[in-house]
Amino acid sequence: MRGHVLSWLTFAPTAGALLLLLARVLMGAREEMIRRLALAFSLVPLGLCVLLLLRFDPAASGPQLVERAPWIRFFGFNVDYFVGVDGLSLWFVVLSAVLTTVSILASWRAIERHVLEFHIFLLLLETGLIGVFVALDMFLFFIFWEVMLVPMYFLIGIWGYERRIYAAVKFIIYTMVGSALMLAAIISLYYLNGGTTFDIPAIAENVRAGRLVLDPATERWLFWGFALAFLIKVPLFPFHTWLPDAHVEAPTAGSVILAGVLLKMGGYGLLRFNLPLFPNATEEFAGLLCTLAVLSIIYGALVSMVQPDLKKLIAYSSVSHMGFVVLGIMARTEMGMQGAIFQMLSHGIATGALFIIVGILSERRHTRLIAAFGGLARPMPVFSALFGIVALASVALPALSGFVGEFLVLVGTYTSDLAHARMYTVLAATAMILSAAYMLWMLERVLFGEITHEENRHLPDVNWRERLALLPMAVLVIVMGVLPNPILRRTDRAVLEVKAATQGAILVRSAPSDGRVPELVRHVSESR
Amino acid sequence: MESLGINYRAIGPELVLAMTGVLVMLLEAFSPGKKERDGAIAAAGVVLAGMAALTLWDEGPATAFSRMILVDGFRVFFTLVVLLGTLLAIFISWPFVGEERIPPGEYFALLLFGAVGMTLLVAGNDLIVLFLALETITIATYVLAGYRREDVRSTESALKYFILGAFSSAFLVYGIALVYGATRTTNLTEMARALSGPLGQAETALMMAGAAMLLIGFGFKATTVPFHVWTPDVYEGAPTPVTAFLSTAPKAAGFAAFLRVFSLTFAPLGIESAADRLASHWVAAVTAMSILSMTFGNFIAIAQTNIKRMLAYSSIAHAGYVLIGVLARDWAAVAFYMLVYTIMNLGCFAIVALWARRGDERVLIADYAGLGFRQPMLSFPLAIFLVSLAGFPGTAGFVAKFWLFKSAWGAGFPELVIIGVLNTVVSVYYYLYVVIVMFFREPKEDVPRVPLSRAFVATMVVALVGVFYLGLLPTRVFALLNAAQNLLAIGAR
Repeated sequence: MRGHVLSWLTFAPTAGALLLLLARVLMGAREEMIRRLALAFSLVPLGLCVLLLLRFDPAASGPQLVERAPWIRFFGFNVDYFVGVDGLSLWFVVLSAVLTTVSILASWRAIERHVLEFHIFLLLLETGLIGVFVALDMFLFFIFWEVMLVPMYFLIGIWGYERRIYAAVKFIIYTMVGSALMLAAIISLYYLNGGTTFDIPAIAENVRAGRLVLDPATERWLFWGFALAFLIKVPLFPFHTWLPDAHVEAPTAGSVILAGVLLKMGGYGLLRFNLPLFPNATEEFAGLLCTLAVLSIIYGALVSMVQPDLKKLIAYSSVSHMGFVVLGIMARTEMGMQGAIFQMLSHGIATGALFIIVGILSERRHTRLIAAFGGLARPMPVFSALFGIVALASVALPALSGFVGEFLVLVGTYTSDLAHARMYTVLAATAMILSAAYMLWMLERVLFGEITHEENRHLPDVNWRERLALLPMAVLVIVMGVLPNPILRRTDRAVLEVKAATQGAILVRSAPSDGRVPELVRHVSESR
Repeated sequence: MESLGINYRAIGPELVLAMTGVLVMLLEAFSPGKKERDGAIAAAGVVLAGMAALTLWDEGPATAFSRMILVDGFRVFFTLVVLLGTLLAIFISWPFVGEERIPPGEYFALLLFGAVGMTLLVAGNDLIVLFLALETITIATYVLAGYRREDVRSTESALKYFILGAFSSAFLVYGIALVYGATRTTNLTEMARALSGPLGQAETALMMAGAAMLLIGFGFKATTVPFHVWTPDVYEGAPTPVTAFLSTAPKAAGFAAFLRVFSLTFAPLGIESAADRLASHWVAAVTAMSILSMTFGNFIAIAQTNIKRMLAYSSIAHAGYVLIGVLARDWAAVAFYMLVYTIMNLGCFAIVALWARRGDERVLIADYAGLGFRQPMLSFPLAIFLVSLAGFPGTAGFVAKFWLFKSAWGAGFPELVIIGVLNTVVSVYYYLYVVIVMFFREPKEDVPRVPLSRAFVATMVVALVGVFYLGLLPTRVFALLNAAQNLLAIGAR
């Protein structure tokens, strides 16, 4: 137990899933019992996360709590079971655990059919999610990356809404296209690095130290091999079309996990793979990706504005918010990347909560159309307060979590040495106004004004279970907004290392001629 | 003149299989219709043959019978794959033989005789032996494919199989004759030696033509595009347990022969030699066959409504992936792939056969609607096998594909790898379509549950354990193949 926190954390949900199956087969556990057991099993990883946070040393460099064992050994086919956390992955592990528990709470009444299978898939999904973030071996990473698709596919396909089959297929095909190319890139990188290891930190170190020098064309190909998978996941305009379908058709729990964690894998992947491994290609394509990111931000916000369906509105708002993440990452400044990570966490919680809120409404009224509501503040005061808080967090009201992330991204972009950095910043900042517009307008139409539909007059307010799911999230967005430091302090070290890796490798390859050299050298030496 | 090298141990597996086949047939003659007994004897024979093969593991590399039979790790491994396929096919056939009132002795004997041909094909070191073995396989399987005589589809299947099979055999013999003309030998070891130097102009022309004919012949047997046209019809029409057998064991054996002849005997040496000139041609041809098989197989599979046809096209696509391994000349990767493919495909077919019931009533994908939660003992394993066929990580299908692609990249075929991985994505669509139908759609009418026989449960256990063991902990099998790699009788250069 002491040395294996991450393994326990990763596989506790799988064990939970098996125990659920046994509870049904051997003891004939009924639906309610299954729900309670699943909730209990989901608390185990949550508890382990506390342990993880206590053990994590913010000042240490490189991965921590590392576990390593040979797994597949053959002809230089050296796959290790190699896991560890650093500042990049730490909070996503925690986020996965939190959102799984919240999803189980949020599905208590929404899922009536095949309850056992639902919770089994949800717990298996959690293993996949945590696994992706802790894996430090490319092969292992890829396994978790793909394995996670299967339970998600079932969650959307079995428990989703009307067009669930279309959405599930679209989701899986889009993601598979990206990951198939990533697989080719992984194999290629493996050979280029000497064909001995899939160890990500070791390869990154080789790149940084100039032992692994890729020729520019190869580097471009590999960059896109990885980036495409991640950008589809994020999703960045124009790869975003799977997202509205998947989010809208998925059951509440599916949407929460999708928006809360799955999208973050894209941003995490960019930080983990693209920046440190392909710094020159990153440099080359940063402008393109920033442009796409700004387009995503504006496009997502504009499309959100005209959505009649609550869930669709939130889905498109995700495209917009995730655009900030890519912008921050591609700015490659400390603030930008810190902001990107923070924005991902904030978006995970705020959007997760928003999906739960929509779920609550659609459970009560069996519709998600904005026009079907209005004046809900009167019959559902607690609900409305919670809705207001998370919606405002999502539009980046100062003192709430969204603000910290987007502000850091904007400052980070503004101060970066990207060409047109200021233009990106200004355009992205404009979109913040748009996002305030669609979100506040939606709040107004749903919560305030006269009650337009009689059936809304006696809607029950949130019950204790729904409060249990939503309250912590509302508290979190406030705490994160007021006290962002405990989070930022733990990501700082890793972000600086990514930054040093990107710039260090550029130095090794060829010193830029425009007088930026002294500054770059300073950064590299600072971080060592 | 060297000795004849008569060594009965070297053909131990073949002898055991053949004798078991004869025994089962004789028993049928004297006390007919005892399904349990005949099946048990056949299964025991296969297991015994497997043990006989295992004793050969440490023998090699060696040859026997005037260097016509090889004893090496390659042969033993492929023999085991073939035998595993045969064993599972016997299990799958168990309920079928009873339902269709087929004389069990006859049926199991044919399976066993087919298996004799396959193991011989794997062991052969001489084009004549390879041809004889192929004919043994095809004659047995012609009969098996037409087993439901009163059914038009089955008869059509057998006839088509027979005509196209004979056609492809003709190509093969012609190819053998031409290659013999060029190298003055049918022995593969001799041939490799002859090819390591330059050939005269006439011989070169003969060799090229002969190799092309051989390629066509093997292409037919291994169901690769453009020689695949018989596959869907035959797979659809043949009784499902027979299809299960046809799509796995003979294919593994066929690829073994393909590897022996092309990857190992016709391998380029990197020097100015006939083999290198030849290789530059066959590599191009096989590359085209591989790309076509993957792409056609996968895209046409999408449009299928019959699950057997879908799996037929999927098997064409898988043949395309395997050809990547042939090109990379990594026989161990191909052997592993065939092992995995045999397990997951037979697992699939076991369920398809059970669900199809008597006379193949329920073979449309639409017939699987609502199977998901109605009979999870069928639907979840089927989903797992399909996911493995699609190559999802965590299952054996992924490890097998990964190894193939990795070898191919290392051998300098990155474009094939990229086409391969993109094809995998296409395949996800139709494999998961079955999952959609099973789990996401409601059943049209109330379908009674299918009783699960003991033989079926045994098949499932073997296949599921195989899929996950090879998918998660393949190291031990890899080590075995690694050891075998060093025990090649020919082509170990």
